[in-house]
Amino acid sequence: MFIRFFYTLKEVGIPVTPTSFLTLQKALQKDLILSIDDFYTCARSILIKSERYFDLYDQVFAFYFEGIPLPENDGFEVDEIAQAMLDEWLKNPKQLADALGVNESELKKLTPEELIEYFKERLKDQKGQHHGGKKWIGTGGTSPVGHSGHHPGGMRVGGESRNKSAVKVANERRYKDYSTTGPLTEANMGEALKRLRNMVPVGPKDKINIDETIKETMRNGGEIELLFDRSLKDRLKIVLVIDNGGWSMDPYISMVQTLFDYSKSQFKEIKTYFFHNTIYDYVWEDPARHRKPYKVDDFLKVDPDTRFIVVGDASMAPYELMAQDGSIHMSERSGKPSLERLKFINETFPNSVWLNPVSERMWGYTHSIMAISQIFSMYELSLDGLEKAVETLMKKN
Amino acid sequence: MTDLKNPDNHFSGANKYVLDSELASIVNISMALEMPLLLKGEPGTGKTMLAYAISESLGMPLIVLNVKSSMKLIEALYQYDTLTRLNDSRFGDSTRDVSNIEEYIKMGKIGQAFAAEKRVVLLIDEIDKADTDFQDDMLDVLDQMQFDIIETDKVVTAKQRPVMIITSNAKKDLSDPFLGRCNFHHIAFPDPKMMRKIISVHFPEIDKKLAEGAIDAFFTLRNIEGIEKKPATRELINWIRALDADPDFHAKDIIKGKIPYLGVLFKKSPDYQRAKDTASRRSIF
Repeated sequence: MFIRFFYTLKEVGIPVTPTSFLTLQKALQKDLILSIDDFYTCARSILIKSERYFDLYDQVFAFYFEGIPLPENDGFEVDEIAQAMLDEWLKNPKQLADALGVNESELKKLTPEELIEYFKERLKDQKGQHHGGKKWIGTGGTSPVGHSGHHPGGMRVGGESRNKSAVKVANERRYKDYSTTGPLTEANMGEALKRLRNMVPVGPKDKINIDETIKETMRNGGEIELLFDRSLKDRLKIVLVIDNGGWSMDPYISMVQTLFDYSKSQFKEIKTYFFHNTIYDYVWEDPARHRKPYKVDDFLKVDPDTRFIVVGDASMAPYELMAQDGSIHMSERSGKPSLERLKFINETFPNSVWLNPVSERMWGYTHSIMAISQIFSMYELSLDGLEKAVETLMKKN
Repeated sequence: MTDLKNPDNHFSGANKYVLDSELASIVNISMALEMPLLLKGEPGTGKTMLAYAISESLGMPLIVLNVKSSMKLIEALYQYDTLTRLNDSRFGDSTRDVSNIEEYIKMGKIGQAFAAEKRVVLLIDEIDKADTDFQDDMLDVLDQMQFDIIETDKVVTAKQRPVMIITSNAKKDLSDPFLGRCNFHHIAFPDPKMMRKIISVHFPEIDKKLAEGAIDAFFTLRNIEGIEKKPATRELINWIRALDADPDFHAKDIIKGKIPYLGVLFKKSPDYQRAKDTASRRSIF
């Protein structure tokens, strides 16, 4: 019973398992569920294993039992695309203005908020898919915006991208083939974890070594001699700072987080912060980089023995790194160029590395990568790179 | 199977625990299906208290396993006390029989719950603290409701399936196979209405105005932007106790924006400062 309900849950993306569905059947059979309210709570507690899906569950429940249509997630995607366009605009106003077919100086009069609104309007103008036309976002046309098109200075929306600093990919994120894009993939996660294990354990000598104790006791003629080993508790503290700003970083964020999450028990403490492109005065504790800012100056308070790991593609316009007010976010302009900030961090934490998902061969082509790799020891986010990075992190000073 | 109609086996709240009906039915169905119930939610939403409440209202003994970060599952099952045995064999002055290994096997919390004559409530508190191995190892034990004592080659089987409550504070999900064996519930932070009920259960005699004002102020303070550790129910209860005990404090002070003992609510210094600033700003208006 309720098989269609089960499949609807699966379709909207909730990980439900057949086993739990059978458990629900068992509960139904035992007459434990007597009303629709019972069904609501019981089915939820049996089928849904994370509060993140509670909202989706509610929607599906309302859809299945009361026929309320499932909402479409248009709003969110339009927001994301508009944000991407704003980033683009800040990097290269002329190109985007040309692409939209409007005067650059007109757009310049708008504040960022107004710009976002404007972009949204334009996006909403375009109803449905648009392929092969001349006007707006779609595929295979001559329009400057869209993918697989011909316009030379075009901006890509969706599709595959190579030169990541100029291109924003904003389409069908869920179907991205993660496994082929990155040097480090889900498949070799286990191997990557092994690399991290080399972050050697140091702990108090509080674990009794029974074999050695027996041996020594025998040698002592029965006089008990207790021998202790260092317990396998790693006392390393890790600060992980992740660039979650651009689409280019998308496939790697969750991977890096999973990587460190799984090895969490090995470390004393892992703190994760986020930034966009490069670090200015603040990094953020929340992935949205909005609610919980953390002052970069406050890193001084952190134990300098902490291992500081930055994950980012380090690809950006040079001025973002060098200029005194390089940040594309007004509120973080304090007059110190990002380059100085990075130097400060590197000096604060003698053991720091930068992991870059961009393949090492390509580093020479991007100015900002070269500049940052002169400050941080930079390694490719691959198994080899990870191994070398761990080596650097564990080096005695 | 547990009979739901039998009032002895039906959980409907306890003396000092305010239960919403949703949670009650989830607890009851988990007991009936004999599945562990995994509870998540902000600290202070009463995850741990629920186990105490179940044990109190159903008259079952409660066994608490506080999970620690370095804990291995074996410690929760049983411990073979080699050191004592070694010591006994050396001095020979104890009453224990050194040649009998069983004398040196001590049951851990899960072991105790299995060995108990009566059905017990087993609370596994903050399971996320231990590493994933702990959870994975526990799967077998949960499934079979039995484990081996390697030293004596004996199998300990649960006489009665304990009522298992597992709590987790983690943002990160537990492993999928583990989740598959549990029922899940996320306890939301109580809304003001619920909070009033909770307070009146804890302080039946309290001045209405004081409770009302304190709860209002509490929710306002909780909503201050950027607070790192939000005060929870536990803090509110302690705070009201403090306010109640202070003879110089009057309920109308809170309405005027005078909020004493902020340290009871906010335990981190930046939070405290921020709350203090906000509170004093309020009093100007």
